[in-house]
Amino acid sequence: MAKILFVSENEKTGKEIQEVLQKNSHEFCYADNKTLTIDIMKTQLPDIVILDSQIRGFDLKDISKKIKSFENVVTILLTKNDEIEPEILKNTNAFLQEPVSPRFLISTINANLKTKNSLDKLSNSNQELARSLYQLNVLYSTSSQFAGTLDKDKLIDFLIEGMDKSLSFGLSCVLTFRNEEPILIINSLYNISDRLLEALKLRAVLNYKSLFEKKPMPFELDIKHLKIEKHIKHAIKEYDFSVLRSDNMFAPIVMSENFFGFIEIFREAEFTTEDATCFQTLAQQVSLPLKSASLYEMKEQTNKKLERLERLKSEFISIVSHELRTPLTAIKNSMDIILSGKTGVLTEPMAKFMNMGRRNVLRLAGIINDLLDLSKIEAGKMDFKFETIKIEPVIEYVKTSLEEMANEKNLNFKMNIEDSSADIYADTHRLEQVLTNLVSNAIKFTPDGGQIEIRTSVMDAKEINYVEIFDDEFKQLHGKYLVVLVKDNGIGISQEDLARVFDKFAQIENSLSRKVGGSGLGLPIARQLLEAHNGAIWCNSKPEKGSSFYFVIPVADEMNKFLIEFKQNLQKAKVNNSSIALIKVKGDEALIQDIIEENNLINKNYLNNSIKETNEKISTLTMTIPDGDKFSADFLKKKIQGYVNEHKNVYPNCAIMYSYAVYPEDAIDEGELIKKSGDSFVHISGNELNN
Amino acid sequence: MKKVLIVDDEQDIVESLEFVLQTAGFECHCAYNGEDGLNLAREIQPDLIILDVMMPKINGFKICRLLKYDNKYKNIPILMVTARSQDDDKQIGEETGVDEYITKPFELDDIVKKVEGYLNK
Repeated sequence: MAKILFVSENEKTGKEIQEVLQKNSHEFCYADNKTLTIDIMKTQLPDIVILDSQIRGFDLKDISKKIKSFENVVTILLTKNDEIEPEILKNTNAFLQEPVSPRFLISTINANLKTKNSLDKLSNSNQELARSLYQLNVLYSTSSQFAGTLDKDKLIDFLIEGMDKSLSFGLSCVLTFRNEEPILIINSLYNISDRLLEALKLRAVLNYKSLFEKKPMPFELDIKHLKIEKHIKHAIKEYDFSVLRSDNMFAPIVMSENFFGFIEIFREAEFTTEDATCFQTLAQQVSLPLKSASLYEMKEQTNKKLERLERLKSEFISIVSHELRTPLTAIKNSMDIILSGKTGVLTEPMAKFMNMGRRNVLRLAGIINDLLDLSKIEAGKMDFKFETIKIEPVIEYVKTSLEEMANEKNLNFKMNIEDSSADIYADTHRLEQVLTNLVSNAIKFTPDGGQIEIRTSVMDAKEINYVEIFDDEFKQLHGKYLVVLVKDNGIGISQEDLARVFDKFAQIENSLSRKVGGSGLGLPIARQLLEAHNGAIWCNSKPEKGSSFYFVIPVADEMNKFLIEFKQNLQKAKVNNSSIALIKVKGDEALIQDIIEENNLINKNYLNNSIKETNEKISTLTMTIPDGDKFSADFLKKKIQGYVNEHKNVYPNCAIMYSYAVYPEDAIDEGELIKKSGDSFVHISGNELNN
Repeated sequence: MKKVLIVDDEQDIVESLEFVLQTAGFECHCAYNGEDGLNLAREIQPDLIILDVMMPKINGFKICRLLKYDNKYKNIPILMVTARSQDDDKQIGEETGVDEYITKPFELDDIVKKVEGYLNK
């Protein structure tokens, strides 16, 4: 039953003990010197050692320590009296007194065998606990990895890695999808022969079919079209078919109705219950992130489709509008010729109706112009000419050009323009367009004898009562703004119509408005134009009392100019399917200048605009690359890193942060681009370069 | 009488321009595509050309460039008519030497005034 080693110089006692032990089916070994003892300990792994305290030829203390160093060995000390050194006591589990009675010998051995079994069990439990702890750790770190990515391929990689770490499989087969095609990913400790590979493929197909036995299969899986990805750890050996007979575990990777694949692992050593739990947990844990990843992928594709559709729509409107202008010109010319009288004398009714036709031709031309404007702005193709200007000349111009129209209705203008109106960074022509639209609306919708007030003032964002009528994109106003008000005491707009007043073609339905004409696009265009100026437009109104249209434009400062130009550059990059980069340098403005002049990095055709945020000593540079030319993100990163590295001593305390977008792949907006660089998308400092 | 050459693939527009310009006292010649326009220009040596941008086969800019780079014709004023907005074509126009832009729909009176401005000196 047990293996027992007797260490002693007394052969006679040894033979006595041997007889007793062998009668009780125990194995007996004998050693009378240190070397032999240790050899036997190593090769035979005895369960119990009976140590004779009478040993003289070698050191008792020493040998008892050496014996104890072997795991789970029970030491019984054979002694004549009670005087035993404490050192030796430490390494002893039990005692036998000489002379030894066979019965006492056996009962001591049995009792200590029980002890030994307990010790063994304890140490196994410890080992198991250690394993469980380790597996839990792997589960924990793998689930953190899962949570950190939306990339389906990475998720599968993490899954296989986690399985390997926690279960040490010899072979794993994962069925998953790449670009909607099934692929079998094989991770193996050793090489796999072609025949084994075919067998694994067949097994995968059978597994798949059995999963959907009575249910419809998500797609057809056949061996011929199954792609393979193989990873071999050690090419020194090769697996044969016997690996398929070793212990294995299988789990599908599913999330409610979605099937993402399955995983099967093989291992020679049997899997324990803990192993099975760990395996199932990992397979389950990856399913939710996989679902999120697919949803994210779908959303990105939808976004790209939407952007493409937007662009197609704008192009379509543009083409059609141009086509419409030509026949319109012919109609107008014909009418002008008749009206000129040169084809013959006109009667009054003829003139009246010819004029009516002409008016409508002009109206049609106006609608086409507005449509074109709107489609241009939406497609990002509108060319703005921004300059630092004052609002007064614009207001004067608009008032003068609409005075006649106002006089026809006996409308009176009340002007309230602050003398020291601030500078704004704007496109004069477009502002004229906005004001003309607002003032002509006021004229159209105010009955005879009414009054139109135009007022300007400069206010801080906090003081501005911004009414949130339209629920899309409520803009945050910051800093100082020029506020322009166009107020009339006309027919007003009802509460429900007010919500739609900036929508395209939302002409308010009432008898008067149908008479006054208009394209229905003036206000939506105005809104887009103000947006390009980093401003906003809104309206207050009471039916029968009148309407007040407010628009605001930020007071011109370096930051505002920069933001406006940045917006324009971003649009150009999007429209041309090229790239834009945003580079911020903190610490030394000269570094930006140097980066600009660094020929290899900056092509003279790149559009640059820069700004200094003086309170924080940050200089920002944006680069738009023209016309379909795309730089690679890596290229830019290497260039900047290289440059800063070379000039570490010149700029010891600089930090560079940058972000970039390459269109059309990156469908992101200016806010996101700016935020990306602010989050230190890539952070390089002069004296320490991070990768 | 001063000669005006009108090149436009839209017959109706050509006819209306011809009417008003003849009434204003100019001799009008018409072509309905770029090739004919070039040939006619070489044949009659007009004092002014009204040219449409969008024409099949050879567009207005090409014709303008060909004429402006030819010593015999470079001094003939060319008025370009376009359905697109000015800014789109302006840059190309500057490179090809267009004298003036007219966007559709135009005022016939304006055109007559412009032509008179170039020719009645």
